[in-house]
Amino acid sequence: MPAIVLQDLTLGYDRHPAVHHLDATIPSGSLTAVVGPNGAGKSTLLKGIVGALRPLEGHITLAKSRVAYLPQQAEIDRSFPVSVRDLVAMGLWADIGAFGRVRAGHADRIAMALAAVGLTGFERRSIGALSGGQMQRVLFARLLLQEAQVILLDEPFTAIDAKTAADLMALVQRWHGEGRTVVAVLHDLDTVRAQFPDTLMIAREMVAHGPTASVLTPANLLRARQMCEAFDDDAAVCLPENRGAA
Amino acid sequence: MIDLIVTPFLDFAFMRRALLGCIAISIGATPIGVFLMLRRMSLTGDAMAHAILPGAAVGFLVSGLSLGAMTIGGLIAGMAVALLSGFVTRMTALKEDASMAAFYLISLAGGVLIISVNGNSVDLLHVLFGTVLALNDDALILLCSITTITWFALAVLFRPLVLECADPQFLASVSQLSAITHFGFLALVVLNLVAGFQALGTLMSVGLMILPAAAARFWATGIAGMISVAILVAVASSITGLLLSYHASLPTGPAIILVAGALYAASVIVGPQGSLMARYLPRPHLQS
Amino acid sequence: MNRRILLGLTTAIAILPLSAFAQDKLPVVASFSILGDMVAEVGGERVTVTTLVGPDGDAHVYEPTPADAQTVAAAQVVFVNGLGFEGWLDRLIEASEYKGTIAVATEGVTALKMAEEGHDHAEGEEHDHAEEAGHDHGGTDPHAWQSIGNARIYVSNIAQALIAADPEGEAIYSANATAYLAELSAVDAEIQAAIASLPEARRSVVTSHDAFGYFAAAYGMTFHAPEGQSTEAEPSAADVAALITQMKAEAIPAVFVENITDSRLLEQITSETGAKIGGTLFSDALSGPDGPAGTYIAMMRHNVATLTAALKE
Repeated sequence: MPAIVLQDLTLGYDRHPAVHHLDATIPSGSLTAVVGPNGAGKSTLLKGIVGALRPLEGHITLAKSRVAYLPQQAEIDRSFPVSVRDLVAMGLWADIGAFGRVRAGHADRIAMALAAVGLTGFERRSIGALSGGQMQRVLFARLLLQEAQVILLDEPFTAIDAKTAADLMALVQRWHGEGRTVVAVLHDLDTVRAQFPDTLMIAREMVAHGPTASVLTPANLLRARQMCEAFDDDAAVCLPENRGAA
Repeated sequence: MIDLIVTPFLDFAFMRRALLGCIAISIGATPIGVFLMLRRMSLTGDAMAHAILPGAAVGFLVSGLSLGAMTIGGLIAGMAVALLSGFVTRMTALKEDASMAAFYLISLAGGVLIISVNGNSVDLLHVLFGTVLALNDDALILLCSITTITWFALAVLFRPLVLECADPQFLASVSQLSAITHFGFLALVVLNLVAGFQALGTLMSVGLMILPAAAARFWATGIAGMISVAILVAVASSITGLLLSYHASLPTGPAIILVAGALYAASVIVGPQGSLMARYLPRPHLQS
Repeated sequence: MNRRILLGLTTAIAILPLSAFAQDKLPVVASFSILGDMVAEVGGERVTVTTLVGPDGDAHVYEPTPADAQTVAAAQVVFVNGLGFEGWLDRLIEASEYKGTIAVATEGVTALKMAEEGHDHAEGEEHDHAEEAGHDHGGTDPHAWQSIGNARIYVSNIAQALIAADPEGEAIYSANATAYLAELSAVDAEIQAAIASLPEARRSVVTSHDAFGYFAAAYGMTFHAPEGQSTEAEPSAADVAALITQMKAEAIPAVFVENITDSRLLEQITSETGAKIGGTLFSDALSGPDGPAGTYIAMMRHNVATLTAALKE
């Protein structure tokens, strides 16, 4: 039972497609990187999978399991007076919901999550007082607590220091080891080559999907780079007959 | 000293009732005010004071100068404005401040139209808005009920509400409660405001909701702390304002709000968190 | 033959507008209902009176509408109370670009001042204020119509203004005025008798706002009020406390609500002092035509009846 199935998926804004007629199957338990040039529709794809964006055409089928999502620019109000511990504890939502009490067992898990991201001792700090890297680690700790089967990460290592990135990557590998499906949008192709067995390369359309070595070829990279970034304001309506035409 | 502070309340029933009314609104409305301030919706109170006009007008048309009918009408109009603006904020590209402004203006215009077309010259809002010195039993019961409802609702909705303010994306991804929380909060705002208008008038109702919350910002770091400080400030302002009104013959509503304002000004200057003094006269820094 | 018929028809047609002209009523505006009633009494069939602040309306806080500006612009005479009662009037006159006569009903009235303030206002003159409606014109009490003696002055001012605007109707206006003055004298006598029948100790009451200063002075009663002279002002706790103390000390038996204000404050005061609510008094506005105070005379009679009924026991 694959984790995610995309069928003829078109996602976009204001009728302009950001992702055009995509077909792909992400197997359960895989560790897949999503790569492509800027504006290729990678973030859009994740938003569609998690349900924040409705498809213009086509289907997304998710296996019945918990999905956790780390957006590229979290719309978190950093001036809101919430402590690190409280924000991380929100990851327990699936267990305690809106009214459940945070019990001793939960408190242990929170402590372990914070330790896993190296933020022990930060429990009472206000989220407004954290650096970018620390904030990202807090969000990872929350992801840990969510115990989701499918984890979607949108540029999780952009704009954070190398040590933090390495620590968080280790967590990702841990998830992979636990059999969870992880899909991550990344820009650093070295990390992709080193750490990710599978890759999905898109440039508003499918370019290649499969084992990383066979996807990240110079030919594919060139094809992706040639994709047009701007929307064509004079584009005609996309009809099934016209598909395949440039 | 006792003469100054306690005797007025012992001697006069209206002073005791005014105090009870103020305490009810200090406890009930200030937590709402704290959330409004944190969500950058502090000007909602004034918008709501105008938005309820068509409801009051229809109530007047149906039942004459009946406070009950006008209050219910006002509640309905206020709810409609709040919920519609929340709906537009969630479903479209427009943000909360603009959608609230748009709807309250439409509502106000509708109210003025209804009144003008029906040609009566009673200033409805002037009649509807009460004063703290005239709290009868009905008004006190109304205020205390609203306070109870508010605390109950906040207790139930606290966690989703905090999340809805801090990280709405996350809440939407893990729960269906996002919409209920948002609209529930707006409903509480309208409830507290309209009940407050009817019992105490606009100035006191909005003033005690927002000023203590604004002052609390400079004293506490967590929400619970802010709410506690806000309640203290509101109660202190009420007592002091009432006593000033009694001893110095000042109008009561403005006296209470000006005391709250003074406490706010003091907080802006000398509060421990993020005030002028904290930012421009910092204490020596701690060891690393 | 045809020419004669044609001539006759033409003459008839020529006369028609003249006769219509002769039946045209004088359009006048009165600022509030009590004044409007008096103007209608004096003007009779020759005038059409439009009142701006209608029955049960509060002229202290009235906000004029564009329709009001149109009405004023079309009028030949505008009647106002003066003494600072209509704070919104100057702006309305400006907006309507009315250039006609403004007849001040209180011209020649000896204005009463508020006891505490020593404001030096010129008596009887219309105030030239730019303040907004409802401002407490600290100093002068504008409710001059509450004394029939002043009402007589109102009537003669009204008659003069109407005669000046429409000299042809002088006879009618004078006759109407004289008849009305006679009625007023009768009512005056009634009021004097009614108040005299009350024991002296019972001639003290509480109302919502200080609207009855002239009544008190003319007929020997005392009125107390928490709201001062304008309904827009907010009472202080000290005022209310003082009123309650006074009511308890003097055993003031009755409190009277008004048709234009919220009665909750008075109800509060009543429950604390054991006084009772004696009824509704009409202070600044008439009631609707079906109400107990549809005309000025009906209003004065109603007020006195209500007062005496409550105070007699």
